[in-house]
Amino acid sequence: MTLQTKPLALTANGRRVGPVDVPEEIMMLDFLHEYLNLTGARMGCGQGICHACTIIVENEDGSLSEMRTCITGAHWFDGKQVRTIEGHAKYDANGNLAALSPVQQAFIEHFSFQCGYCTPGFVTAATVLLDRLKREPVSRAELDEVVTTTLDKHICRCTGYVRYLQAVRDLVLKTPGLLTG
Amino acid sequence: MTKRKILLIAAAVVAAGVAAVAAIPRAFETSVVTKDVNTPLSADQMKQLAERGAYVARVADCYACHTAKEGPAWAGGMPFHTPFGTIYATNISPDMEFGIGRWTRAEFHRAMQDGIGKDGKPLYPAMPYTSYRQMSADDVDAVYAYLLTRAPTRVENRKNELSFPFSIRQLMAFWNVVNLRRHGFVADPAHSAVRNRGRYIVDALAHCGECHTPRNVMQGMKAADYLKGSVIEGVEAPDITKGGLTRMGFDPLTLARFMKSGLSAQGSMTNQMFEVVHFSTQYMRDEDLQAMAAYLFHLESTPKTETAPPAPTPVSIPTQVADAARATYRNLCAGCHGADGQGIPHVAVPLSTNISLRLASPRDLTQAVLHGIPAQRFPGLERMEPMPEFAQLIDDRAIADLVNWMRARWGGQQPSVTAEDIAKLR
Repeated sequence: MTLQTKPLALTANGRRVGPVDVPEEIMMLDFLHEYLNLTGARMGCGQGICHACTIIVENEDGSLSEMRTCITGAHWFDGKQVRTIEGHAKYDANGNLAALSPVQQAFIEHFSFQCGYCTPGFVTAATVLLDRLKREPVSRAELDEVVTTTLDKHICRCTGYVRYLQAVRDLVLKTPGLLTG
Repeated sequence: MTKRKILLIAAAVVAAGVAAVAAIPRAFETSVVTKDVNTPLSADQMKQLAERGAYVARVADCYACHTAKEGPAWAGGMPFHTPFGTIYATNISPDMEFGIGRWTRAEFHRAMQDGIGKDGKPLYPAMPYTSYRQMSADDVDAVYAYLLTRAPTRVENRKNELSFPFSIRQLMAFWNVVNLRRHGFVADPAHSAVRNRGRYIVDALAHCGECHTPRNVMQGMKAADYLKGSVIEGVEAPDITKGGLTRMGFDPLTLARFMKSGLSAQGSMTNQMFEVVHFSTQYMRDEDLQAMAAYLFHLESTPKTETAPPAPTPVSIPTQVADAARATYRNLCAGCHGADGQGIPHVAVPLSTNISLRLASPRDLTQAVLHGIPAQRFPGLERMEPMPEFAQLIDDRAIADLVNWMRARWGGQQPSVTAEDIAKLR
C-alpha cells in the first residue's frame, strides 16, 4: 500500500518547517512526533477526550487557540504557526534553559502534577487562557469558574486538579491586567 | 371619531365575538369519555391499577414534559415554546392544592381524552390529549392510579405567556371541534393483534405523531401527512413512515433496538428523541417496541432477522468540491469518524450509515457540524463522546462543500447546499 502524500509547511515554535511530503491522512500528533521529533504533546486517548495532546495555534490576529492534535489532521496546520510544549520556555544562545514560562513556573511552585503525562496539555490550556484574559478580562468573582471551565476538558489521573486550578488562579491574580475592576 | 373611541369599539366587538365563539363549541363537543368513569375506583382497584400504570405512564412519557429540567418530579414547569407564546407544563403530582390530588377519576379522563381541565376550561394541545384521546379507558385509569401514588409536590403552576387572542383558553374548544378525532382507538380486525398493538402505542400512548406529523396553520396535525416528518425546535423530526424509515436504513428489528438503546449503525438519538429514549422507550418491553416497528413497517409481526435495506447509491459531485471536502474531512472529521466513515464504537457514530446524511433536508447534519452534540449517556453504560462544534473553525463555503460531499457519498443526496444555507443556520 502506498500512502498518498501532500506537501506540508508550517512554523513550529518559531522555526519554519517544510515543505515536506506528508501522508494526507496523518494526524498532527504523529507528524510532531515522527517528523519534527517534538514528542512533548502526548498521545493519551487518541479520541479527542483527554486533551493531553493539545498545542497552541498562534492566529494571524495575534490571539491563541488550543487544538487537539490526536484528532486533527497534520495538513490542517499547513501555513499556520504552532507552539508545542517545547516552545514555552526560554533558552539562551547555547540552548540552555533560561526561564520557564510563567505558567510552567506556577505549576512547579504549586506541585501541580505528579506523573506529568497530562501537563503539556494543561500548560497549553492555561497559556491560552492567560492570552484570552489579556484581551477579555473577567471579574474576580468569575475567575474560579473561568479557570475551572478552561481546565475542565483536561484529564489528570494523579489527583492534580486542585493544584492546577490554584496555580492558574494565583498566576492570573498576580499578573496585571487580566481582571476587570 | 377619536382614535380612543375606535379602539374601544374594536375591543367591544372582539369581546362579544370571543363570548359568542366560546359559547358555540360546547354544542359541537364530542366527548369520548363514557359515563362509567363517574364511578370512583375502589382502593383495591387503585392499587392494582397503579402497578400497571407505572408502565403505561412510561410509554406515554408523562414524566419528560411534566418535570422541569432538574426540577422536582411531576411538578411541571417545563416550558413549551410555540408560535403563539410559551406554555408551561402543569403539576400532576397528587398535591391537593397545586397538583391533581383532588381530581376525580372522571375529571382525569376528561383532561386526558377531551382536553378539558378540572375547572371545565380547555387545556392547550401542548398536552397531547389529541393523541391520548385514543387511549383505552383502562390505561387512563392506570395512569390516574399511578400518579396518585407519587409524592405530592407543593409547586404552583406557572402562568402561560401567550399572546392575545391565544391567551383565551375558551377558544381552544373551537380548535378542538376542528382538530379532534370524533372517536377513540378502534382496532382493525383485518390486522393482527401485534400490528394493532403497534398502532395503539404509536398513535395513542407514545404520541409519535405530535412531533413526526407536520402541523397546519392552526397547529393541528395534518392527517394527510401522517408521520411524514416535521421540524421541531430547529431540528428534523424525520419521516417515520415505512418509506422514510427504509430510506434512513432501518428494518423493523433494527428500529426496535434503536428505540431501546438509542444507538445503532444509523447513529445516536439526539435532541428530543434522546430524552424520549432516556425517559420512555428504553423501558418499553421488547414485544411493544417490536409491535411499533411492525405497525410502522406495515407488517403483521416482526421478522426474526435483521435485513438492512440497500445503501443509497452515491451521487457524483464536482471534483473541486469533492477535493476541498475530502481535505476538510480528513483534517477535522476522520480522527473520530474514520477515513471511511466507519466511526469508533462507544466513541463516535459511523457516518457511512448515518441517518442525518440520508434525510432530504441537510438541517440536522449542518447543525451538528456547526454546533456539535453534547456527550450523551445511553442505556447499558454506553456513552458517546461529545462532538465538537466547528462554527469557528471552518467558513460557510467549506462547510457547504463538506456537507454536500458527505451527503452525496454516503446519503445518496444531491449536493444542493449553498454557503448561504449554512450562514442561515449559524
